[in-house]
Amino acid sequence: MIELGELTKTYGTRRGLTGLTLEVRKGEIFGFLGPNGAGKTTTIRLLLDLIRPTSGSRVVLGLDPLTDGIRLRARVGYLPGDFVCDGRQSVSGYLRFLAALRGGVPQGRIDELAERLGLDQSAKIKKLSKGNRQKVGLVQALMHTPELLILDEPTSGLDPLVQQTFLELIAEAAERGQTVFMSSHIMSEVEAVAHRVGIIRDGSLVALDSVANLRSVSTREVEVTFASPVPADAFIRVPGADGLRVDTAGTTLSGSFSGDPDDLVKALAGHTVTGLQVTKPALEDLFHSYYEGAEAAPRPTPRPAPVGEA
Amino acid sequence: MSSPLYTKFLADSRRGLIAWAVGCAVVGMGYASTYPEQKNNTDSMPAAFRESLHVDATAAGYLQATVFGLILPLLAMIYGITAGLRATASDEESGQMDLLLAHPATRTKLVVQRFAGAVTGALVICTVVWLALLAIRDGAELNSVTPVELLAQCVNLLLLCVTFAALAFGAGTAFGSKVAVLASSIVVGVIAYMGNSLYTQVGDGIKYVSPMYYYIGGEPLRNGFQWGDIAVLVILSAVFLAVGTVRFNRRDVNC
Repeated sequence: MIELGELTKTYGTRRGLTGLTLEVRKGEIFGFLGPNGAGKTTTIRLLLDLIRPTSGSRVVLGLDPLTDGIRLRARVGYLPGDFVCDGRQSVSGYLRFLAALRGGVPQGRIDELAERLGLDQSAKIKKLSKGNRQKVGLVQALMHTPELLILDEPTSGLDPLVQQTFLELIAEAAERGQTVFMSSHIMSEVEAVAHRVGIIRDGSLVALDSVANLRSVSTREVEVTFASPVPADAFIRVPGADGLRVDTAGTTLSGSFSGDPDDLVKALAGHTVTGLQVTKPALEDLFHSYYEGAEAAPRPTPRPAPVGEA
Repeated sequence: MSSPLYTKFLADSRRGLIAWAVGCAVVGMGYASTYPEQKNNTDSMPAAFRESLHVDATAAGYLQATVFGLILPLLAMIYGITAGLRATASDEESGQMDLLLAHPATRTKLVVQRFAGAVTGALVICTVVWLALLAIRDGAELNSVTPVELLAQCVNLLLLCVTFAALAFGAGTAFGSKVAVLASSIVVGVIAYMGNSLYTQVGDGIKYVSPMYYYIGGEPLRNGFQWGDIAVLVILSAVFLAVGTVRFNRRDVNC
C-alpha cells in the first residue's frame, strides 16, 4: 500500500528525512513512532504530495503521489497532525463541505461516526474544545471509508474513553481490509492495535518489526526472592541475564532481563523461590533505547504488570 | 462553477461582500451627489493638480477626480487584496491548506475556483456601484454621462479589483505567506497611484507601468469602453495568476 525507497527530504540545510525505506502492507495497522521532530509528519506530507522529496521513491496505493495525485487522494483519508479548521461554521456544515470535495459521502456514515465519537454536529467549530475538534478531524478522515488511512498523531487531545473508541474504529477498519498508517510519539497508544511498528529517529528508521517480535526482544524487570541464600554467580550463565544481580544477603535477585524467559525459569528451578515478580515487557523502554540522545523523548511512567505475563 | 470550493469561498464571504457592496455604493453616491455644489469650485484648484487628476467642471471630470479617481479604486484594490489573502496565504499559514490539498482536487483547481469566487464578489460590488450611480444620476445632475459610459468605468473598476486580486493570489500561491502578499500588493498599489498621478512631474512614460492608467487613463466616462485598456488588465491578471499557480504546483506546501 505504501512503498518508500531511500526517501530523503532536505529543508535548506536542515535534514527532514535521510533515506527512509519502508513498506506498509494491505490491511495492516502500521504504527509510525518517533519523538517530535524525527520526521513523522515530513513522511506523511510526502505521501500526500504536500511536499516533494529531495530524492528517493514513493509509491502509495500503487500510484505516484505527484502524477496521480487526484486518483490517489480520492482513496486516502488523512488527518493532519495539527488539525485546524475554519471556526465560523457548524461541524455538520464543514463535514458536508469536505464530503462534497470527495463527490459526496453518505450522511448516515457521518452521523454514525459522530455519534460513536460523541461529537455534536450542530456545534460551531470555534466553540469546540481541542479534543472535540480532533473528533471532527477523525470523522472527516474516516467518513468515506478510504482504502488507506493516514493519521498523524490521531489521538492527540482525545480523552481516554474516546481514544478507546478511536482504537476500535481503526481496528474495525483494518478488519474491513482498510490499511492504517498512524504516527504517534507514545508507544502505548499504538502497541494495542498496531500489527507492525516502525521507529524513526533523526529522519531514518531505527527499528521495524511486529509488535510481538519487538516485545520478545525487549527487557523485563525481574525480582526473585529465595528461601535461602544463592551464590552471587548462580545466574551468570543465563543468556540475557547481564542486568541481573544477587544482593549481598544472597536472597534476592533483581534487575533487568533481556533473554528468553524460559532460560531464566529453568535456572530458577534449582532453588526454592519464595517470590517472583516480572513486569510486562516494556515496549516503552525499548522505544526509549532508540530515543537515546534524541531530544524531547516523552517518558510516561512505566506500568507494572502482574507476575509472569509474557 | 458548481465546485464546492467556489461556492464555499463565496458563502464564507457573503457578509463581508454585502458590506463591501453597500459601502462602495454609499461612498460612490455620497461623492457623486455633491457634484451640483462642487462643480463650480474646480476653478479654485491649482492648475497642475486639476490637470493631474483630469478635473474639470463637467460631470465626467468630477466623477473621474473623486468617485472613480480616488476612493473607489482604493476600495477595489483593498477588496481584491483581502480576497486574495484569504484565498491561499491565510489558509496556508493557519495549516488548513494541508487538509484541502489532501482531497482529490488539484492545486490549480483550488486556485481557479477561489479566484472565480473573488471575481464574482468583485462583480457584485461593481454592479451595485453602477446601479447606485444610475439611481442618483438625474438628481445629481450627472446626465451628461451616459449609463453606458458609467458602465464602462464600472467595468474598469471591476478589472482593477480583479487585477489586484490576481496579484494577491499570485503572491500568495507563489510564496504562501501573508507578508509576501501584503508587501507585493502595497508596492504595486503605491506604484499604481503614484505612477498615475505624478507622471506629469516625472515624465510621461511612468504612467504605463501603473494599473491605474489602464483603469482610468482612457477616460471611459467620456469615451466609453476602452478595449485596449481592458485587454491590458485582463492579461495582467492572467499573468499574475498563472505565474503564482505554476509556482504553487511546484513548491512544497508550508506547514
